[in-house]
Amino acid sequence: MISSIKKTSLAEIKARLEQHPIEAVIVGTGISGAIIANELTKAGKNVLLLEAGPGTNLTLQGYNEFLSNFYGATSKDNQAPYPVNPNASMPRSTNLRKLQPGETDSATYMVQSGPYVTDTNYTRVYGGTTMHWEAKTPRMLPEDFKSQTLFGQGVDWPLGYDDLEEFYQVAEREIGVSADVEDQSYLGVTFPKDYVYPMKGLPLSYLDQQVAKRLDGTEVELYGQRYPLKIRPFPQGRNGIPNDKYDRGQGYVPVGAVSNHQIEIGERCQGNTNCVPICPVQARYHSGKTLAKAFQRATGSIHLLVQAVASRVVIDPVSGRVTALEVKVYKDPKSSEHETVTIAATIFVLASNAIETPRLMLASGLRSSSGLIGRNLMDHSYLLSWATMPEICGTMRGTSVTGGIIDLRGGAFRRHQAAFSVDIHNDGWGWAVGSPYSDLTTLVDQYNLFGPELRRGLINRISSQLLLAFMIEVMPSESNRVTVDPQYTDQLGNMRPVVSFTVPEYTMRGAAYAREFARTVFARVGAADQSRYDPGDYGYVAYNGQGYAIRGGNHLAGTHVMGNDRNRSVVDTNQRSWDHPNLYLVGGGSMPTIGTANVTLTLAALCYRSARSMLDQLQ
Amino acid sequence: MDSSDITTLEELKSYLYSAMQLEHATLPPYLVALYSIKPGTNLDATQIIRVVAVEEMLHLTFAANLLNAIGGEPDLTVPGFVPNFPTYLPDGEQEFLVHLAPFSRQTIENFLQIERPSLAPSGVNKLVARREHGPFLHLGTHPRQTTMRYYSIGDFYKAIEDGLVYLEGEAQKQGKTIFTGDAGRQITSQYYYSGGGHLHPVTDLATAVTAIRLVIEQGEGQTATIYDSQKELAHYYRFDQLIHGRYYRSGDAIEHPTGEPVSVDWDAAYPVKTDVKLADIPAGSELHQAAAAFNQAYARFLAEITEAYNGKPHKLMEAVAHMFEFRNAMTVLIRNPLPGSNGLYAGPTFEVSPEAAGAPQAGAESLEVVA
Repeated sequence: MISSIKKTSLAEIKARLEQHPIEAVIVGTGISGAIIANELTKAGKNVLLLEAGPGTNLTLQGYNEFLSNFYGATSKDNQAPYPVNPNASMPRSTNLRKLQPGETDSATYMVQSGPYVTDTNYTRVYGGTTMHWEAKTPRMLPEDFKSQTLFGQGVDWPLGYDDLEEFYQVAEREIGVSADVEDQSYLGVTFPKDYVYPMKGLPLSYLDQQVAKRLDGTEVELYGQRYPLKIRPFPQGRNGIPNDKYDRGQGYVPVGAVSNHQIEIGERCQGNTNCVPICPVQARYHSGKTLAKAFQRATGSIHLLVQAVASRVVIDPVSGRVTALEVKVYKDPKSSEHETVTIAATIFVLASNAIETPRLMLASGLRSSSGLIGRNLMDHSYLLSWATMPEICGTMRGTSVTGGIIDLRGGAFRRHQAAFSVDIHNDGWGWAVGSPYSDLTTLVDQYNLFGPELRRGLINRISSQLLLAFMIEVMPSESNRVTVDPQYTDQLGNMRPVVSFTVPEYTMRGAAYAREFARTVFARVGAADQSRYDPGDYGYVAYNGQGYAIRGGNHLAGTHVMGNDRNRSVVDTNQRSWDHPNLYLVGGGSMPTIGTANVTLTLAALCYRSARSMLDQLQ
Repeated sequence: MDSSDITTLEELKSYLYSAMQLEHATLPPYLVALYSIKPGTNLDATQIIRVVAVEEMLHLTFAANLLNAIGGEPDLTVPGFVPNFPTYLPDGEQEFLVHLAPFSRQTIENFLQIERPSLAPSGVNKLVARREHGPFLHLGTHPRQTTMRYYSIGDFYKAIEDGLVYLEGEAQKQGKTIFTGDAGRQITSQYYYSGGGHLHPVTDLATAVTAIRLVIEQGEGQTATIYDSQKELAHYYRFDQLIHGRYYRSGDAIEHPTGEPVSVDWDAAYPVKTDVKLADIPAGSELHQAAAAFNQAYARFLAEITEAYNGKPHKLMEAVAHMFEFRNAMTVLIRNPLPGSNGLYAGPTFEVSPEAAGAPQAGAESLEVVA
């Protein structure tokens, strides 16, 4: 889509501040900030968006420069496309190392102590983590909202599935979800009669189909109950075939690449396997699409200040209201030179993410009267299992993930062990061992292959790779947390996040079962298990005599939990701070639990719900 | 309204077949120029040419929808459907040749000629005698009076619009309609969408006229304004941005874009031999096999599109997958020097007739390797 989206200079912002009071300042241009900005500008509100990154990707050309960075990078990790920026650093898996118990690594942006090191990460550029996300968009299960009542685990949400259903629909429209209701109606997930997703479901990959051929219809038994297995497609936030039945037959118009010129390439998914860390054609949703709409509609009432790092929330000690936000505006990512500006507004919305938002609150000395800011950090724990299929299965074709197994997302076993969702990775063993690049090294160095034999060898080796990624639920635990420490600061002098995270035993029970489950699947499909977990791995966890490499899931949540009781939560169900009536902390941090749903769709739904409350407050 | 050139349904069908031929004929030149750009260079030009090519396919599909709507059967596999390049297009009093050529200033100027907005001035006959009588296909020719051609593509489309209005009017007088085609044969935006222009089914005069006007307005058209009624930049002005080195923005005067700069590096393209033919490529060479294989792949693609336009819209999806394959196959040709051509490079020849396709089996195998 075409949009006149542009940055506003600091001088211009200052000049405007004197004449047009800002109604809402939003920190962060990820999906939460984008949705709220779009909703507030729809109602004619005067909005200022702050982005810590330089915003080079506002233009198609800038976006494509990220793509070139990715193509040219030797490591294809989540941050490969995004330039290093010491003024707005981000966690990066390639910088991590194994830590001994009690050993602290402060060389990385996110300070961690051993023994467990999470490689969870988020992206601090315009568009936030939707620039690198995979765009899987399952809804949470109805039972996920009541895990304490039903399973004696975690906490119950103050909202239920039925409260969020209408907002799930709005979020699915905005993200542009491709899925079929019949595939997604399971384990109690219901849709209104006649609901269809905006676009039709994306097809299962050939690899998915080969696994399904031998696995579908088989069962597993867990705590006395039988669970039938079936490979299902995931709902995905990428452009497919618009469903002409959508919106009572109005249909759906997909949003293509964003550009400020008429280069509307209107792409649909082409099946490139690098959804993560960047979609080459913008078929996959990123929040720049939502912001493009806001800017197209409301030039004049929405402004974007880039290279602007929120550094302190200023509070009136009597009323508790936020009076201003202190923002460090830097001139160049390479230099710490910056100007600190103070921005006043009617309401303040912190939409960074579940690590950066509590980091800013804690750096401002705001621990919340519940003491829960930064606590209950959640993320999905991933266990990878990989194997060789008995025949060529076309691995490396299709998006990163098209299908998987969701049958163990819910069930009575959750009294005892964590649930999980299983992805079949179309990009082979990449996540586990670095395929296909590692395969090239192996065939050249160990097998001495070259020329046509090398090409043939690569095809044979890579296209039979099967990787199952188990996304295992993690329940809230107060000791899993984000804090700050004045001795750890970044180039601008802002305190960096200090993260303490231990994989809970409930999750490890799920992981141990996941490993067993993977072996069962491999045996049923005739695949040869190749999984190895190295005790030298930074994410190595020993449990019941076995070792597992546990990866982070980048599904950050829990650190400013919502609730009905101000003593036991940080925000109310509108994501408004209990302590500071004109402050909203939005995003995954508000989620009390995360079940086995990738968090983006749910946090997007929450933001739509909260936007209503913000508009009420701004009346 | 002028009296219609088109007085029978069969005539209207042959005009619409010609329209499909015309819309398709711009694709090979655009694709050769697009893929001749060296990777990583000319990013603006790449996007601009690509968008126009995508919209030409939209127009081709609209022409097929129109033909289907009146009970015709689109067929892109008819011998001679694909021109043997170069091919003639009308440009007012003159005709000009459209070439398969690499990205260059001259090539973009050729594209500007293709897309130049013009209609016969009032008082000038919109049908003019063909001057050129070379061996090449003349697009925009009057289907019946083959020595006559339209003054411009805009006039050609205007004749179709007038014909639709006239014939439907006549039919309505007898309580009938010319829109008797099976609605299931229409390609909808489910199967094809681009940011520019929404593909809609053609089922009656109103939807037919909307389709024709969209094609006219987006390119090869008659509108002398920069933006069309949907605020879309017409093709002529898209290419014009490359010549001027600036993007147009709304409010700009014709020939005076004032938007952001467009950077163009005219030299960053592979020097593909203009209108290269299979016969120019040493027989028996790998390059020859690859060129022959490409032509076969292109012929298969046209056959798939034909199926899609004949009641199997889902075939368009498969055709899209094959477009990736022939993009790769084109790139292989474009990036390889042509022996004995003084440094010029090979390219796709688009000779899809059976006799031109060359040795089938060997070619097909070599395509698989490159794809």
